[in-house]
Formats: sequence, structure tokens, C-alpha cells
Amino acid sequence: MPEVVVPIGPYHPALKEPVNFRVIADGEVIVRLELDIAYNHRGIEKAAESRDFIRVVPLLERICGICSHSHTTNFVKGIEEAMGLTVPRRGQYLRVVVAELERMHSHLLWLGVAAHEIGFNTLFMWTWRDREAVQDILEEISGNRVNYAINEVGGVRRDLRPSAIPGILKRLDVLEKRTERYLELLRHEPTTAIRFQGVGRLSRAQALEYGTVGPTARASGIDYDIRKDDPYVLYEEMPFAVVTNGHGDVYGRTLVRIGELRESIRIIRHALENLPQGAVRATPPRVAPRAEILSRYEAPRGELSHFIRTNNTDRVERLDVRTPTLANWTSVAVSLVGQHLADIPVVVAAIDPCLSCTSRITVVDEGLARTSVLTWDELRAHGIRFYREKEGL
Amino acid sequence: MKRGRALTGFLGEVARNLRSKPATILYPYEKVPVPEGFRGRIAILDEKCIGCSKCAIVCPTECIEMVPGERAVEVKGGRKILRKRKPEVHLFACIRCGLCEQYCPTDPKAIYLTTEPSGASTDKGIIVR
Amino acid sequence: MTEVWLLVLYAMVFPGVLFLVIYALFLQYVDRKIAARTQNRVGPPLVQPFADVVKLLSKEDITPEGVDRRGMRAIPLLAFAAVATAFLYVPVIGTSPFAFEGDLVVVLYLLTLPTILLFVLGWVTRNIFAAVGGTRTVTQLFIYEVPFFLALLGPAIAAGSWSISEIMAWQGANLILAILQPIGFVVALIGLQAKLERTPFDIPEAETELVAGPWTELTGRKLAVMRLTMDMALVAGSGLIAALFLGGPATPWVLEPAWLGGLVGFGVFVLKTLGILLILALVRAGMGRVRIDQLNDFGWKYLATAAILQILIVLLMVGEVWA
Repeated sequence: MPEVVVPIGPYHPALKEPVNFRVIADGEVIVRLELDIAYNHRGIEKAAESRDFIRVVPLLERICGICSHSHTTNFVKGIEEAMGLTVPRRGQYLRVVVAELERMHSHLLWLGVAAHEIGFNTLFMWTWRDREAVQDILEEISGNRVNYAINEVGGVRRDLRPSAIPGILKRLDVLEKRTERYLELLRHEPTTAIRFQGVGRLSRAQALEYGTVGPTARASGIDYDIRKDDPYVLYEEMPFAVVTNGHGDVYGRTLVRIGELRESIRIIRHALENLPQGAVRATPPRVAPRAEILSRYEAPRGELSHFIRTNNTDRVERLDVRTPTLANWTSVAVSLVGQHLADIPVVVAAIDPCLSCTSRITVVDEGLARTSVLTWDELRAHGIRFYREKEGL
Repeated sequence: MKRGRALTGFLGEVARNLRSKPATILYPYEKVPVPEGFRGRIAILDEKCIGCSKCAIVCPTECIEMVPGERAVEVKGGRKILRKRKPEVHLFACIRCGLCEQYCPTDPKAIYLTTEPSGASTDKGIIVR
Repeated sequence: MTEVWLLVLYAMVFPGVLFLVIYALFLQYVDRKIAARTQNRVGPPLVQPFADVVKLLSKEDITPEGVDRRGMRAIPLLAFAAVATAFLYVPVIGTSPFAFEGDLVVVLYLLTLPTILLFVLGWVTRNIFAAVGGTRTVTQLFIYEVPFFLALLGPAIAAGSWSISEIMAWQGANLILAILQPIGFVVALIGLQAKLERTPFDIPEAETELVAGPWTELTGRKLAVMRLTMDMALVAGSGLIAALFLGGPATPWVLEPAWLGGLVGFGVFVLKTLGILLILALVRAGMGRVRIDQLNDFGWKYLATAAILQILIVLLMVGEVWA
């Protein structure tokens, strides 16, 4: 069969959010991949500039439904750093508990989606049923299953009733047993083994060159986890290990995520059993002094960084969000060349894409009525030129 | 054989699921259990509102509108004041964040989130007063 | 005169087309219910498959621009006709009145037609997903058809006949062939799952890869008829395997009033086809989809080898017993 262009997206049952792959395939083997990821651009960075610190937090929460706590925690800890504010220990511990619960629900969701991508709907339903237990715990702690609205500048908005803790710990025990079950299943179930192993191979050198982060990088043997390398919200007090392995393929990423599920349960148990007494919030000052902060966070998908520039008002002057999915897209384009058409949904799902997080850059050329995507070098050159002109150098 | 054991474990789970009750809650015939502190539908307690507009200012989606509504309200210390405005909420713009409840100065709160989970309606412009 | 009238009733109503359609919808319900319960869900109510067909029949029927309208409309009807004709020879309440020597070959040929027609559909509709899906259908056909035919050849050799009724009778006199030819039985079941394009062999229709493969451009009435055809193929296929390997709608003893014999035979038919469906549904619930090149590996390495092995064993046994 000659080369055909198979349009995967923007609408496609494999994708949960719009993204455009133009796959050029020779029969069933992929020759080239062209990526267009700007379909979910909503102008959040601009909208954040016109809201004060109280009203901007719910906006940032809704950048993404699955990593909503990540975005808000990252932002408020950046602002707290600019203000020089210390958050009480109990507040930090509660932030850790919600963060790890979010990681758990994200990984369970991912496991279900990966199973669905290979047509294994039974595993999909089972993991999502167990995910309900995590959602119920989050509902008890924060009042909502998604978009928990528990962060604010200075601490958390709600306290945890001590009477709720034994129930949560019991549910964690059940989740631990289910996680072990899934690990057993994945090791021995034949179809997941042949669909995941050897697919989407990314060597360590490639992973480093293309800047992959999160479980995608950790499955290629790169030991990089912001919680250990640049700890925040008292992660240095939590006992956990960074899960890596050397497989480099989708199977490796599955193992990393299930390992992280285990570690998250450990962290939550430790945090709940050693919850310090005291207040959960500190009153922040009204304005944030002039500062430029790069705030980093280990979201379920990898390293999330917010660049925040404050200018002595009660708003940010500039917010730039660099999500982990944006960093991982290049690795998809690279690792899919030479694979089969049938592997596209599996490899795309393996980086756990969150398009709502990603779409921050698009170039719309109204004169030529054309949209284009800038390559890394073009973007760098453009950025340097832009700022040189703006600051009159 | 390891594969055989895991496969029997898997088949065992499958067989067990065939016999057990499904995990589905048949809403709306069965009620969904909701924990205490759940952020549900918004409600307004008109007798306590002093018309300070803090809720409208802090709302992230600007779904609270202060409309004229005169009423004599009793405040702490037994005094009575005449409030001039009161809030109205566009229900489908409310994201149930609870910031209005947090910043409301009265006790008990004049604007608060109930634990009612459903918010369905056929009227797009429904207002909570 | 009454003979012809009865034959028409048999072909059209029971156990002909009308019964086939109703039973196909019932089996779809059972299949979906089993799949749902293994996944801890509730599953659809009994009338759901019927409601789906009615709903599809009332939807807008779209033919893409530049596609041969009459050709595209004819394909689902051809597939429906093929499967309905094939079912005439499958024994339901006893041996079929249309039976003749060689009807096994006719049934197998007719059951291959829907797959070929899916390929043609993929080609005709000029959609890239449909074309790739159609290619996959035919590739999959080449892989599973040889082992499937070989597995069904085993009972024919054992009974020394190409007629389904003779094979059924032979099993009545001896043991059922599922016990005598277990490898062949397993290969036949796997082949049936692949023929019906159910997980793990639903590669042509892979929802998450190719939207819907050759089914992409089917809408409204065409989609209703094609889906019904696939369900009917499930009935015909499991009826065929029930007849060839499980002894068909026959009881080990002869029942005196002919109508009672027919009724009990029908009950036995329902039970056996439901049993086969249970196995197929559990396999569908418990596995993910394989890739076409992996299926190629598996099919030629294991499936074909197993089928050939089974044939060799049968030939040896037959040679020995009747030499």
C-alpha cells in the first residue's frame, strides 16, 4: 500500500481531547507524524492577569480537571514564596494528602484509559470502580470529587475532622489490595503484555534529549522527581521512594504508575497518622512584593512549572504555565516512527496526555489565514527577539 | 505455572463479579450518599443578609448580582439596621467554590452551600434568591 | 402442497428468518448482560437490542458524496441474505428439512460472505478508516479461516460425510465430538470469535484506532441491517458448532410424540448455543485487543498447527478403526 495520510483527530474515539495527528503511514507502519496541539487554548494565562489572588485560584483549578490541585498548589506556593509567608504545618500536611490522593485517582484513571485503548473494557471498568473510593475520600475531605477548591494563598480552606481519618485509612487498605491485584494481573495477562511491551520505546538518551518528564522519563531510567529533588510542602518529611525502571516502553510506564500508587498510599498513611495540630492557614498580606518566581511541582504527569511575576499589587503581572504534557509530546512523535498504526492510541495514552493543560501556544496568522506550530529553535529565536525589542536592547 | 495462576485469579474475579451486586447506584431511583461538608446547591438566608456585597465581590465567576431589596435586619448586639441590597445567584454560573460562604460576615451565614447534590433544571436562567 | 407450505413456514418464520432475528437479538442481550456483570455494571434491559434496531431504522440514512448509493445499500442486504440462508441448514429442532450431502460446505461458504462484504464495504465507501479496516478484515480472514475450516473438517472426517445431519447422527451413535476432538473444538471456538470480529479479534473495527473500520460510513437502516447480520452470524455460527461438536438439538433417547421431540430438541439447541455464547462472552470480557501482526504470529504458529494436529489425529483414528 502506498503512503496514506490517516487523520487522527481532532475528533477521534481514541482521543479524550482534541489534538491533531496527521499520521503518514506506509501500510500499517508509521513513517512520519505531524502534531498540532493548540485546540484547547482558552486564554487562561491572560485571564489570570486580571484577577486578584483570591479569585484567580478557582480559575487555575480549572485548567485541568485531573491535575487541578497541582495547578493551584503550585501557584499558591509560588505566591507564598514571593510574599515570604510561612504556611502552618497542618495546612501543608493537608495539601500533601490531597495531592497524593489526586495522584492516585489520576493513575487509576490512566490505567483504565490505557486498558480501554487496547479494547480491554473489563479492566477499564474495574479500575474506575476502585477510583470511586478515592473520589469518595476526596469528597469527604474537600466537599467535591473534582476541583477540590481546598487551596488558597496562606494555607488550606478547610480542616479535616479527626473522626474522618479511620474511615479514610480503611479505604486505603482496600485500595492497596486492589493495586496489588492489578500488578499481578498486568504481569500475567497475555494481551496487555503483548500490546504494552516493546511499544513506544524511548531510550534514556532520547528521553533526556527531548526533555520528557514524569513517569515517561522515570520509565526510561531517569531518576527525576521534584518531590525529592526540590521538595515543597514538607515532602522532605514524608517517607517514599522514587519509582523508576529501565524498560523504556509503555509497560515500563505502567509499572512506574502502579508503583507510584503504592508510594502514594504510604505517604497518605504517614501524613494522616502524623497530622500536626494547629491552624490550617496563615493570613496573607494584601499584596505580593515585586518578585519573579519559578514554582515547580510533581504533578501526576510530571514536572509542572509556573513562572510568576508579581509587581507589588494583588494580582500577578505574568503567569506562564508549562505543563508536563507539553514536555512529553515530542517523545510521542519520536517514539511512534516505525511503529504500527494500532500502537498510536497506546503510545499517546502512555504519556497520559492532558490537552487542556497543554494548549498554551498557538500562532494564528490572520493575514495568511493559516495556523502553524513553531519548532523549538524558532520559538527560542522568536522569544529572544521579542524580549530584546520589548526591553529596548 | 505462574501464568495459569494469575489467569485463574483473573477468571475467579470475573466469576465473582458475575454473582455479586453491581457497583452502580441507580440514580435517581436510589439516593446518592453524600458526606457532611459536601459542596452542594447554593442557598440564601435573607433574614441575615446585611447587604455588604462581599460575596458578589469575591465570586470568581461573578454570578452573584446585588439587587435592590430593602429589609430591616437584626445584627449582633440586638440592633436593627436597614439593608439596601441583597444578592441573587445565577444558579448555572455558580461553581460551588464556597468563597462567598467563607467571606460572608454574618453568623449564621446569609449565603451558604447546602448538601444538595443535584442542580438540574430546564430553565437556563434560573436564579436563586 | 402442505409440504411446500410447511417448508415456507420453516424458512420464513420458525426456525427461519423471523426466529433467527428474534433469537439473535436475545443472544445480543445475553452477551451484553454477561459483559456488564463481569464489569460490575448493571447492563441493558431485555428489550435493549430490539430498541437499538428500531432506533437505527428511524435514523437518517447518509451516503457519502461520490459513493455508489445502490452498491452501498445492497451490501448489508446481501450479508443478511447470506447468513439467513446459511441458517436454513443449521439444525434447530432436529435435522433441517433442507439438509443434503455437502451442506456443511455451503454453510461455511455462506458464512464467509459477510466478511468479504465488509471488505468490499470498506473499499466502496472511500473513507481512509474504512479502507484500512477493510484491509484488516481480509487479512484477519486469511489468518483464521484456514484453522477454522480445518477444525470443522475434523467432524466431517470422523463421520465420513459432508452433511451436518449425518455428523449429528454419528454423534448420537457415538460420543459428542467435543470430547473426541477437544483441540478441534477449541480451535473452532477461537475461529468463531475471530469470524464474528469480537475481542480479542475485533481488530478491523478497533474503535480507538480506526473509528469503526469498515463500519464507519454505515448509518441508519444500513447499520441496523449490518449489525443484525453480525448477531445472526453469531447464532448461525454457534448453532453450527453446537451441531458439529455438541451433538446438536438431539437427545440420546428418542421421544415418542414427534412434536415433543421437536420441542425438547429446540430446548437443547437453546441451551447449547447459550453455553457457547457464555464461553465467547467471557473471552470477550477478559481480554484486550491484539495487533494484526501479533494475530498473524499467533494464528499461523499456534492455531494452524493445532488444527493440523487435530486433523492428523482424526485421520489416524479413523484409519485405525475402519481400516
